[in-house]
Amino acid sequence: MTSDGELIQRAAGGDRSAFEDLYRRYARPVFGLALRRLGDRGRAEDAVQETFASIWRSAGSYKPDRGPGAPWLYAVARNAIVDRARSRTEVPADIPDSPTREPGPSDTAEQGWVAWRVHRALEELPEREREVIALAYWSGLSQSEVAEFLDIPLGTVKTRTRSALAHLADLLGEELA
Amino acid sequence: MNEFENIVDVDGLAPEEAARLRRVHELLVEAGPPPDLPPALEHPAELVEAEVIEFPLLPPRRWAVAAVAAAALALVGLGGGYLLGHAHAKSATFAAQRVVSMQGKGSLAALRIGSHDKAGNWPMELVVSGLPTQQNPRSYYELWLTKNGKPVAPCGSFRVNSKNTTVRLSVPYSFSRFDGWVVTAQPADARSIGPVVLKT
Repeated sequence: MTSDGELIQRAAGGDRSAFEDLYRRYARPVFGLALRRLGDRGRAEDAVQETFASIWRSAGSYKPDRGPGAPWLYAVARNAIVDRARSRTEVPADIPDSPTREPGPSDTAEQGWVAWRVHRALEELPEREREVIALAYWSGLSQSEVAEFLDIPLGTVKTRTRSALAHLADLLGEELA
Repeated sequence: MNEFENIVDVDGLAPEEAARLRRVHELLVEAGPPPDLPPALEHPAELVEAEVIEFPLLPPRRWAVAAVAAAALALVGLGGGYLLGHAHAKSATFAAQRVVSMQGKGSLAALRIGSHDKAGNWPMELVVSGLPTQQNPRSYYELWLTKNGKPVAPCGSFRVNSKNTTVRLSVPYSFSRFDGWVVTAQPADARSIGPVVLKT
């Protein structure tokens, strides 16, 4: 599989198919990140557009010797999303009387990065593995109910789930360290 | 129900592999579900090549500067055109058919122009970089079409509050009657056209 860094470099040279590959890999992670930060689907859509415009414009600034492509793409997306957030006219917030228990900026950034990597990795899974992961984790169904829903044996669901997690573990190598 | 043991069968796995899968499980729980992509973002659209409009009235020295600016800004239009060219575009988005560059002292602008609608309205997006922020809340910038170099047809007002500002505008004019574009700085309570800060 072509690496993200290679695709960025090819996009920098005007290769549109490379840019489209990047779009397919990252449209969903960018949209997820924008939704988390902006909380509004319309503005998140705009942020996705701005992110990919920035990627197209600034792909030439990517330096492969400074690291892989994913963190660079994450930084471009984060900047576009922050710009979009700043563009909103916000009413000044009241200063709270006591320290908040809400996650701070660093926690939020960490969560955003984890989601970014996980959602990106999910895009690489075969469809049937991605499907079983989505059902097992985010549908509220038990493994038996997943088997019933997909009309496959329970053993197959278990095998497929384990296989999907192993694939994800390979894709998320550095996140597991 | 998101207990690791309920989801993953670790029978027969080496302890290291079970621990590795458990870590992935924790990351999945932390990340939450990926969002559904809205239809407008599901497929990348085709790139839209934007025509860079050059005005013949520039004196020779400014041709070179304008050519460099136009080349740089055309890329802005190309990237934007790609993204704004979705088949299922929202009402505020459009594919650029032309890009006009403008320049001023320490500032640049790219005006992306789409296709006009049946009523003759041309959607435009102006990307401005380097214009100073107005201190007076009632002052603003105005985009004009020019005739014989003079601003004659107003095309929209805007303010800036950061290094780069993007505004969407629409005008109903026939461009063939004009010879260029300018942006003027309109002071508060202006009753006349302010000084030109950007021009083609």
